[in-house]
Amino acid sequence: MSRPAAANRIEVVAADRPVREVNEELRAAVADGREVVVRDTRSRHNLGVGLPAAARVRFEGSVGYYCGGLNDGARIEIERNAGWGVGEAMAEGEIVVGGYAGMAAGASMRGGVLHIRGDAGPRCGVAMKGGDIIVEGRIGYLSGFMAHAGRLIALGGAGEACADSLWGGEVWLAGPAESLGVDARIEEPEAEEVAAVEALLAGRGLGDSTRDWRKVVSEQRLWHFESRDAKAWLMI
Amino acid sequence: MKEPYEYPFDPPSEDSVAMRDGAVEGRVAGSPDAYDAGESARWSPKAIADVHAMAQLGRYQLRGYNTFNRRMPGFDDLVFVPATMTRLPLEGYRESCETGTVLGDRPGLVSEPLRLDIPIYVASMSFGALSANAKAALGYGASKVGSMTCTGEGGMLEDEREASTTLVYQMTPSRYMLDLEHLRMADAIELAVGQGAKPGTGGVLLGMKVSERVARMRSLPVGVDQRSTVRHPDFLGADDLQVKIEELREATGYRVPVFLKMGATRPRYDVAIAAKAGADVIVLDGAEGGTGASPEILLDHTGIPTVSAIRAAREALDECGMSGEVSLVASGGIRSGTDAAKCLALGADAVMIGTAALMALGCNAPRHLKDYEALGTSPGRCHHCHTGLCPVGVTTQEPHLEARLDVPGAAERVARFLTAMTMEITLLAKACGKSSVHNLEVEDLRALSLEASAFTGVRLAGIDRPFTW
Repeated sequence: MSRPAAANRIEVVAADRPVREVNEELRAAVADGREVVVRDTRSRHNLGVGLPAAARVRFEGSVGYYCGGLNDGARIEIERNAGWGVGEAMAEGEIVVGGYAGMAAGASMRGGVLHIRGDAGPRCGVAMKGGDIIVEGRIGYLSGFMAHAGRLIALGGAGEACADSLWGGEVWLAGPAESLGVDARIEEPEAEEVAAVEALLAGRGLGDSTRDWRKVVSEQRLWHFESRDAKAWLMI
Repeated sequence: MKEPYEYPFDPPSEDSVAMRDGAVEGRVAGSPDAYDAGESARWSPKAIADVHAMAQLGRYQLRGYNTFNRRMPGFDDLVFVPATMTRLPLEGYRESCETGTVLGDRPGLVSEPLRLDIPIYVASMSFGALSANAKAALGYGASKVGSMTCTGEGGMLEDEREASTTLVYQMTPSRYMLDLEHLRMADAIELAVGQGAKPGTGGVLLGMKVSERVARMRSLPVGVDQRSTVRHPDFLGADDLQVKIEELREATGYRVPVFLKMGATRPRYDVAIAAKAGADVIVLDGAEGGTGASPEILLDHTGIPTVSAIRAAREALDECGMSGEVSLVASGGIRSGTDAAKCLALGADAVMIGTAALMALGCNAPRHLKDYEALGTSPGRCHHCHTGLCPVGVTTQEPHLEARLDVPGAAERVARFLTAMTMEITLLAKACGKSSVHNLEVEDLRALSLEASAFTGVRLAGIDRPFTW
């Protein structure tokens, strides 16, 4: 089902074939040092899961759930839209979504860059533990929920309850947030921090020095129960 | 009008009626300790103390260990009825009885199912809740007897991976330190959607236990009171779960089984849904299951007892044609081989022990008594896992306390305890005429109470009929 395209490129067709077979072919091509283009993706789930650092994969069309999930360094491009959990648990690498991303994009990711050109659905960057998520559009409600670390950057603003219950990490907004979540507060960013974010964006062709940034961080009131005295836990 | 009765002696004084002679001043003499005992069934001394504590703290109480609910029916409500005239027993002291246990044997989906030598393994308990020494000792002990352990929610600890020849890697909703390499190093993956101690609520690890190493593994600030999410970040219902399970298979090359751990609440439905969603092994954790820390009300008042959950789960698997394909593991409050054998007879393929394994490590052992005293408790009734001040080094991150747990000795105790439990199971199985522990069946049991019979469908002792409505 695959045919050579350019010299070092190979095409894999997803269509209605078992995903296991498609991914096996994809992994074999990657192991072979080939760049892979997956055609006729039909929003299939679990495409390109757990790919290694050397992988270069482009999905032509839209993909379903968990595309690029558990990414371990691969560079993945999705031409159109992605379903839930794109790039979930990514450790390193880069995933670019040309269109929109569904719920929980970059959920619990630990590193790498997830770049979404359109809007992202609710709970974008939920439980993220590192890396950067860049959303050119708007992020949905509860985005950044209980994130631990990393940066979630949204050029188009955020829906309700933005950055709810953060442990750590930062949500950067260049547009309005419908509301902030529990225990979130807006902090004036340092010039160096802004420069670092702008440099990251400029590197992706999104440079614009006129942006009015708001950085949302944890208020840290939820870090502890009301009673901070360890002895209080002995009352029981 | 009738004349009032008159004693044939002088009317008594009020002092005499009140038995004041020699009585405690200000007390009704007839019930000298009624106040101390707390005679009200509703306002027990504990209920009163709970109100006082809540009124002072302004929050719910939180502790470790397991349920204190005394009305929880348990394994002791069932007995075995060994072979007598209708069946032939095996020689308990001589004949052999198979104990090998295979979990997640699904050709085409799992190329390396788990093969354990015994039907018992050590439950998912995190590094964080437990010390690194405790995790290592459990791993070595389980390895010695061909059993296995499970990482729990804190990520994969090097010490445990090294110690456990067979290790289940748990993915909880918080996904601490979820790592592809670790997934691929695991012998099975467990998606946790709940636990028996507090179904419907996420894990708790108080700041005293969030040490630097724990914090690093969980990407948390050191010392925060960690309260984890209960909903997974990237799937919600069973349809999504099905896709998630496929993702994990893709990531691990269809090599290892995928477990799904749940607290026992509505097992008849939950187990059927989990099986349909594609889990290879379903771990059903009853309300007696222990935990490192939890709001106390959840321990005492949520979930259903293990003994009541297993039968419903097995029937659910039977009803959807999944028995034999999907394995069922029971856990929650299993203290001995006897309890484990009852679980197998009720329909479990294997059992998981948590608290019992900690006891084998030395939990609640009578050592370092002053430290128990400082916690306001004593050996035998300590439930202070949540404080991180475990006097015997099991549930602590304090180096000087952890050092009290000698890994080799503790590992050997775990190995011996698992061996003894297995001997108990085979002893009962052979008395019931079974050459494999997996042949134990509901017919081998009788219920001692109407409740136990009604919950489990096990026949009542003597009358030989299940209680029905």
